[in-house]
Amino acid sequence: MGVGTQSPGLSPDPYPCPPCPSQGLMKGNEREEQGLGPEPAAPEQPTEEEEALIEFHRSYRELFQFFCSNTTIHGAIRLVCSQHNRMKTAFWAVLWLCTFGMMYWQFGLLFGEYFSYPVSLNINLNSDKLVFPAVTICTINPYRYTEIKGKLEELDRITEGTLFDLFKYNYSNTLGAHPRSRRDLRGTLPHPLQRLQVPSPPHKARKARSADSSVQDNNPQVNRKDWTVGFQLCNKNRSDCFYQTYSSGVDAVREWYRFHYINILSRLTDGSPSLKEDALGNFIFTCRFNQDSCSQANYTRFHHPMYGSCYTFNNHKNSSNLWMSSLPGINNGLSLVLRTEQNDFIPLLSTVTGARVMVHGQDEPAFMDDGGFNLRPGVETSISMKKEGLDRLGGNYGDCTENGSEVLVKNLYGSKYTQQVCIHSCFQESMIKECGCAYIFYPKPKEVEYCDYLKHTSWGYCYYKLQFAFSSDSLGCFTKCRKPCSVTSYQLSAGYSRWPSVTSQDWVFQMLSRQNNYTINNKRNGVAKLNIFFKELNYKTNSESPSVTMVTLLSNLGSQWSLWFGSSVLSVVEMAELIFDLLVITFLMLLRRFRSRYWSPGRGSRGAQEVASTPASSLPSRFCPHPTSPSPSQPGPAASPALSAPPPAYATLGPRPSPLGSAEPSSSACTMGEP
Amino acid sequence: MAPGEKIKAQIKKNLPVTGPQAPTIKELMRWYCLNTNTHGCRRIVVSRGRLRRLLWILFTLTAVALIFWQCALLVLSFYTVSVSIKVHFQKLYFPAVTICNINPYKYSVVKDLLSDLEQETRGALKTLFGFSEIKSRKRREAESWNSSWEGMRPKFINSVPLLFFDEDETSKVARDFLTGRKRRVSGTIVHKASDVMQIQQSKQVVGFKLCSNDTSDCATYTFSSGVNAIQEWYKLHYMNIMAQVPLEKKINMSYSAEELLVTCFFDGVSCDARNFTLFHHPMHGNCYTFNSRINDTVLSTSMGGSEYGLQVILYINEEEYNPFLVSSTGAKVIVHQQDEYPLIEDVGTEIETATATSIGMHLTESLKLSEPYSQCTEDGKDVPITNIYNTAYSLQICLHSCFQTKMVEKCGCAQYSQPLPIGANYCNYQHHPNWMYCYYKLQQAFVREELGCQAVCREACSFREWTLTTSLAQWPSEVSEKWLLSVLTWDQGHQMKKKLNKTDLAKLLIYYKDLNHRSVMETPDNTIPNLLSNFGGQLGLWMSCSVVCIIEIFEVFFIDSLSIITRRQWQKAKEWWARRQPPSCPEAPPIPQGQDNLALDIDEDLPTFTSALRLPPAVGTQVPGTPPRYNTLRLERAFSNQLTDTQVPDES
Repeated sequence: MGVGTQSPGLSPDPYPCPPCPSQGLMKGNEREEQGLGPEPAAPEQPTEEEEALIEFHRSYRELFQFFCSNTTIHGAIRLVCSQHNRMKTAFWAVLWLCTFGMMYWQFGLLFGEYFSYPVSLNINLNSDKLVFPAVTICTINPYRYTEIKGKLEELDRITEGTLFDLFKYNYSNTLGAHPRSRRDLRGTLPHPLQRLQVPSPPHKARKARSADSSVQDNNPQVNRKDWTVGFQLCNKNRSDCFYQTYSSGVDAVREWYRFHYINILSRLTDGSPSLKEDALGNFIFTCRFNQDSCSQANYTRFHHPMYGSCYTFNNHKNSSNLWMSSLPGINNGLSLVLRTEQNDFIPLLSTVTGARVMVHGQDEPAFMDDGGFNLRPGVETSISMKKEGLDRLGGNYGDCTENGSEVLVKNLYGSKYTQQVCIHSCFQESMIKECGCAYIFYPKPKEVEYCDYLKHTSWGYCYYKLQFAFSSDSLGCFTKCRKPCSVTSYQLSAGYSRWPSVTSQDWVFQMLSRQNNYTINNKRNGVAKLNIFFKELNYKTNSESPSVTMVTLLSNLGSQWSLWFGSSVLSVVEMAELIFDLLVITFLMLLRRFRSRYWSPGRGSRGAQEVASTPASSLPSRFCPHPTSPSPSQPGPAASPALSAPPPAYATLGPRPSPLGSAEPSSSACTMGEP
Repeated sequence: MAPGEKIKAQIKKNLPVTGPQAPTIKELMRWYCLNTNTHGCRRIVVSRGRLRRLLWILFTLTAVALIFWQCALLVLSFYTVSVSIKVHFQKLYFPAVTICNINPYKYSVVKDLLSDLEQETRGALKTLFGFSEIKSRKRREAESWNSSWEGMRPKFINSVPLLFFDEDETSKVARDFLTGRKRRVSGTIVHKASDVMQIQQSKQVVGFKLCSNDTSDCATYTFSSGVNAIQEWYKLHYMNIMAQVPLEKKINMSYSAEELLVTCFFDGVSCDARNFTLFHHPMHGNCYTFNSRINDTVLSTSMGGSEYGLQVILYINEEEYNPFLVSSTGAKVIVHQQDEYPLIEDVGTEIETATATSIGMHLTESLKLSEPYSQCTEDGKDVPITNIYNTAYSLQICLHSCFQTKMVEKCGCAQYSQPLPIGANYCNYQHHPNWMYCYYKLQQAFVREELGCQAVCREACSFREWTLTTSLAQWPSEVSEKWLLSVLTWDQGHQMKKKLNKTDLAKLLIYYKDLNHRSVMETPDNTIPNLLSNFGGQLGLWMSCSVVCIIEIFEVFFIDSLSIITRRQWQKAKEWWARRQPPSCPEAPPIPQGQDNLALDIDEDLPTFTSALRLPPAVGTQVPGTPPRYNTLRLERAFSNQLTDTQVPDES
């Protein structure tokens, strides 16, 4: 205010309108002067009750005067209001533009930072009583060989023949048969295992069968490197075939066996009696948690087609009965003694002995392939865990999902959403779509059946193609499956010691076998001990928080604004008001011009009356057309008496007490007043 | 009007009737709004039109509200931390490494103390499980066993008898295996094995009963497996016996450093048993700590990699193992800070015999901010638990100390596996016959967090942790086994009579994987200048306000308003007094009653001193106590009207 009024341009003398007797101007002048002095705007007081709802200035000049004297935008005052010194105006214009540019540049930076949604990492170190995670333990062997032998007999016999053909290995301990005679039966299974020459491209190797037999006489040991082993997979009408090849014979035989095993398994699963419930006691000899024994309520059992009977401890849907660890250390964890004998393992399928354990969160399916940990027989494995949490910010800040409900893939596991669950479900979905059957290792929807080459002849071809597409991410599973926003992981580290010790093994073995009615033949290799415990109760949570919040953004904007302009949001409102006023005044002036052009001077009063009676009625009464605006057809004769007329009473400031009388004179007086 | 009038008007205009001296609060507000630098206020006054004015009032109030809200948010989020992770590459101090044999004492030496217990355990094994060829049922065995141990007083079985429980019966019939007589189990059965047992053939559960002094309150502990039951039972008695053995004797019974450590290499230089300090652990016997700040020097490694770490070959004499106390063979190792207590039972890593175990370390240092950012404690001094370990504070130390203290409080003696608090003794049956019952009760209460330890103990603010990566290899290899074992045997020739076996040895390598050292530090996210600049930003953004504005507001709204109010109240009081005693108060203006009454406006132009002189009433210089008047305002306008030389009839 002070700045505005002290500028020379604002002194009341050069105003073109001061003699204008209109009350609006008069008031404006008074305000100016009051602003100058410390005196309050006392005279307005009585008029307050007569004030209109909204009043407008009569001319642009008046408006700008008002604006200049009352605005709070620094610089703008100098620019707009120092009109009588061009140098100054130019100088201020340059300055104003510079600061304006600086400010908007800074604003741009600030907004850019905000809308890139940066996050800052927080690491919270908490220590608390921890919920023990779910622990899944599997006997690596899917079925007892004695139970499934009948189903696998044919496959075993053919494998045996193949082994002899390809590797000259005489596999005769179990079946004790004559491989040469059995070899003829090899054709009964599709996709036979073959030896292929490396340089031959797959499409040319369609005649590999004959080539195979022709090179049979060569000594394969000499140029072993030139050969790969594999099996052929074709699509339905056998128009397209390829070879799934392996550089190592062991891999090839295992993979081939597995492939056939899957087919056999898919026939087995529908209510086969060989899926007999495997008792816990046959696998887990002792179980303790936190020095208490486990109970039936502590575990659930499921059957995994590759890893056999799996027992999941501490995996309840309701969290009431969960194990809690209130102290770290080996005594306060889960301790198990496992039976790891492999007498009745399926010889060609299970090449690993021991047990497989996995630690995972509650209500998450155990992906034994992905996160398992193998236990050696005859060894006490102590796995110490450390919990770690990760919380991501969703929404604009990152691509993650809270509970997977917005992910397009249907969760086939019926469990909590994890990325793994989603990817497996996604693969199964595409498998069902492409191949028409479900892969046996993943759960299936009800209406679909598992793949079996007796029913779906070309599923192997389809599966391996799909697998390739999956790993090269052309299925889009990895983009469809978003990361969950909060992840809990457990870092495992293991220590090993021999168990049982030489001095104690006698009584320990005796006791175990006695109690479980089971003789441990293989002594040390028949048992394994497992301890899982929390290493420390401290756990780290990595969480994200927005590094620029709305509050800090506003603060920064405000700082910049104050620094460069000294203005505020209210100043912007002032500007908006100015623009609004300008528009309204322009509109009214145009209206007036239009009226005066198309109505006769005699009818002009009627027009004015009409304007006055509009809801925003009193507007024209304050209306003082800008001197530069062309308003030529003002009724001249009516103006001269108005000049000498006394100023209208204060009452006219109000909502037009005498619409006809004062509207005409005041406006015309103004036009006359400007020379 | 005469020029004199004009001058008067001018004087009047310039007279300071506004501001702090304004006669009414309304005047004061108007004056404030016109003169303040805060945006918005001025517009309230100068805007024309009621709607405009209302809008401006709304805008201003909204801005004020927004400022308050945003500043509140800023203040609330003041105590946030930001985390910085720095990776240093420097010469790292090697941590202290404590190595223990899993077996605490040489069984050949300690056998004298434990012979009774061993005999009874073997007897129990035989009776309960038919261990050692006898396959018949218990009762007969019990008798035969009784006869075979004729004359001996089975003190351990008597004090805590092992019992059989017939699982499927709801009546809980327990059978004392010693006498074979059935007894009704009274009191609570802490049922540790419920459903697992159903799958087992025997359907019998082993356990033991713990009773308090008067034996009316008993708790029975059963175990799903006989192995666990025997081990627990043995451990219980073992602790009783060992609690009575003095420390020096225990140290002598355990392994010496020369025995345990066959070879030692550190940073490519040979070292020996003198580089290790003894640390006696109640459950693991003699442990040896490498680099435990001997002579105030802490060793450091110059390079990462297994070559420059600690390499030791440990002699684990499997024949000397206690068959009932420990069932696994190997050693335990723990990496810790020099001033930390090695909680080897809790977090030690096992080492297998006949194996080379490589442990790669990676150091992470964490530093938290304490109050008011978080609840952590710097050194544990402000935690109301006395640290019985006399080492650096950590959460686990605190929990253990808390439990031990409670144990001494409740049971009168200290638990064997933790250090002794001052003035307490370890528990044993001779002095505290029912300590075991008390201990089990207390532990259950502890797990259920009824002791309040978890609430009292707080985490430490700074800690170093070594992330360990373990890998195993067969050692020694078949081809090197022969010469290696014979050389080692020759080395140890003066101590060992027999030839070393490969299952008696374990190799251990501990090294820094790299010399990168990660430190996770919390730093305050907000500082006072930061907060102030944010405040400034908010104030500037919404109203272009500043601290001066705030002072101004304070001045105007509190000091000046109050002074005006008090002035007026004082005036009123005076008036009231004057009315009560009109003659006795000559100074008071005769008719001050019209002060607030608009209806009495006419009477306001009263002959005061100034008006009598036809001077404008100098409000600024007015006599204290003279009330400001509305008529000063009106007068002013009257003057201004007169200036224009137009005789407009006023309201009057």
